[in-house]
Amino acid sequence: MTKPIVAVKNFSLTIGDKEIVKELNFEVMPGEIFAFLGSNGSGKTSTVRSLLGIYQPTSGTLHVNGKTLSPETASIVGYLPEERGLYTRSKVLDTMIYFGELKGMTRDAARDFSVSFLERVELSDKANTKIKKLSGGQQQKIQLGVAIMGNPKLLVLDEPTKGLDPVNRKLLLDIVDQLQKEGTAVIYITHLMEEVERLAHRLLILKDGTARAYGTVAEVKKEFKSKSIEDIFVQIYKEKSHEVTHV
Amino acid sequence: MSKLQTVIRHEYLTIVRQPSFWILMTAIPVLIGAVIALSFFGNQSSVARIEELSKDLKNVSIIDDSGLINKKVVEASGLTLSPTDQTATLREQVQHNEKEALIVFPSNLASARTYQVYLSTNDLTRSSTVTALGENILKTSLFLPLGSAEIIALAQNGASATLTVYEDGKETGGINEYIAPGLFVVLFYIIFAFSISYMLTSVSEEKENRSMEMVLTYVKPRTLIIGKLLAVSLVTLTQIMFFALLALIALLVLRQTGNAIGLPLGIDISKIVFDPMTIFFGAAFLIVGFLMYAGFMTATAAAAPSTKEANSFSSIFFIGAFIPFYFITAIATDPENPIVNFLTYFPITSPVVNLIRNTVDNLGPLQSWISLIVMIGFMLLSILIAVRAFKLGALEFNQTIKLSKLFKR
Repeated sequence: MTKPIVAVKNFSLTIGDKEIVKELNFEVMPGEIFAFLGSNGSGKTSTVRSLLGIYQPTSGTLHVNGKTLSPETASIVGYLPEERGLYTRSKVLDTMIYFGELKGMTRDAARDFSVSFLERVELSDKANTKIKKLSGGQQQKIQLGVAIMGNPKLLVLDEPTKGLDPVNRKLLLDIVDQLQKEGTAVIYITHLMEEVERLAHRLLILKDGTARAYGTVAEVKKEFKSKSIEDIFVQIYKEKSHEVTHV
Repeated sequence: MSKLQTVIRHEYLTIVRQPSFWILMTAIPVLIGAVIALSFFGNQSSVARIEELSKDLKNVSIIDDSGLINKKVVEASGLTLSPTDQTATLREQVQHNEKEALIVFPSNLASARTYQVYLSTNDLTRSSTVTALGENILKTSLFLPLGSAEIIALAQNGASATLTVYEDGKETGGINEYIAPGLFVVLFYIIFAFSISYMLTSVSEEKENRSMEMVLTYVKPRTLIIGKLLAVSLVTLTQIMFFALLALIALLVLRQTGNAIGLPLGIDISKIVFDPMTIFFGAAFLIVGFLMYAGFMTATAAAAPSTKEANSFSSIFFIGAFIPFYFITAIATDPENPIVNFLTYFPITSPVVNLIRNTVDNLGPLQSWISLIVMIGFMLLSILIAVRAFKLGALEFNQTIKLSKLFKR
């Protein structure tokens, strides 16, 4: 039986006086695209930060590949945060190599990966350009490149297509698709439900730090007697709080 | 390469690769050199211009009511003294541009110490020429009775004093004892002006451009802060070496010119005293003070949501670094003064106050050690606060971290 790459058990997080996440449980399997959904402030980002070891859980466990992660051991994860950006005064290639080294790659390996990635996303000519001189879409490609450096076993993408034009959106989704086929698990955070319908194998909808729907796309649709994830999402957010529906 | 080394390398190169870094570094000595050169050549050309214009000043009248002006001196300038009863007539001639200028030395010149100059034009050069002419005639007339040109020059320009200072029956280096430790005060301000702010911008820009979360995924906050601190320290070392090189070149030039360019206050390069303990404490106060300020800057940057707000908050540290200069006399001469003692141990003033007191040697070995230990305590505290503020505020992109939250267990 395949072991989950991510196993979150009874995870709760309180920051200050605020209970951000309550008794959350979920698993992500290798090679699957797992949609992690919820409105702003529902606890998605805090959960991801806890998974990466940036935040310490108040209770429960968050394991990636069987271990609790810390920034020192998070190199098996590629992360594209929602609040993302790059060193605007640095050059593209220097920035990519720096992140590659932070992820534990050698300088040469980081350089080789960066050069081939820039070629793939048609930005080879920008390797020695300062980040601030790139367009928003070009910067986002570089951010994705940084996230997927070092062949991560788990890729966490927080609204990866936000602000991208259709061409670049397709390019990004193709890269995600390829990585998933190669066995990388993807936690995909988005507000675009058509992307969930198209990409996701399983999903979790979070509201007020509590899981409200969890299972395969088909299972969740069946449970909520709905043909659309968007309708289910709206329904959950219109409801008054109630306990999780495990499918 | 460890993550710490990677951070240090990246932070160091990010700063020193900026053209603005080198422009700023070279701009300061170039500007100082340019100001000195301009002032030197400007003065020379002004003197030459005045001398040149003086030759043309033939249509100037001089009236002496004071009896202090020597007729021969006036005649040596190619001019003549006019009778005192012609004052009104000559003034009218100047008014109607029939005469270039009139200089009147009044009867009460000795007590009032003023004389009148009437000019037919608003030309500033002409005005300074005529004034200089009047001044020259007056001074030369007064000094003439002294006799030789050497004595007149001595009376006009004074003489420089060569100090010999004794302490406990032994001759000391005098002002030359203050030069080496005093350099640490200068270095502190150079570092303060250039490097400390790098710490602030390094953290606040990372936060503002949202690269912080991507970095913190793979690096512990403590590693990142220490890496930044060490990188900024290396930048500072680069700056010190650069300025030291320039100073060495200046020194060689001075020696080549055989001290033709005199140093002020009786400073003699060959007599500069290098006392090991003073140098040690100067270096220690400098390094610890630098790290303490860097820690406070990091905390400020991490706690503030933007570079703009971080800069506003950080002004308190800049004020702290300059406050000691309001009390410089007390710090240098009255070490028992309660204000001086307070400033010696108050965190944000302690580096400068201790550096100044170390320079003028009024700290004493025991108090130097106590000051250093207290400053190390503040430095560690500032780094702890920085790490804490960083953990709390690094990923808070839109709000300022409250002080109460910072110190809450």
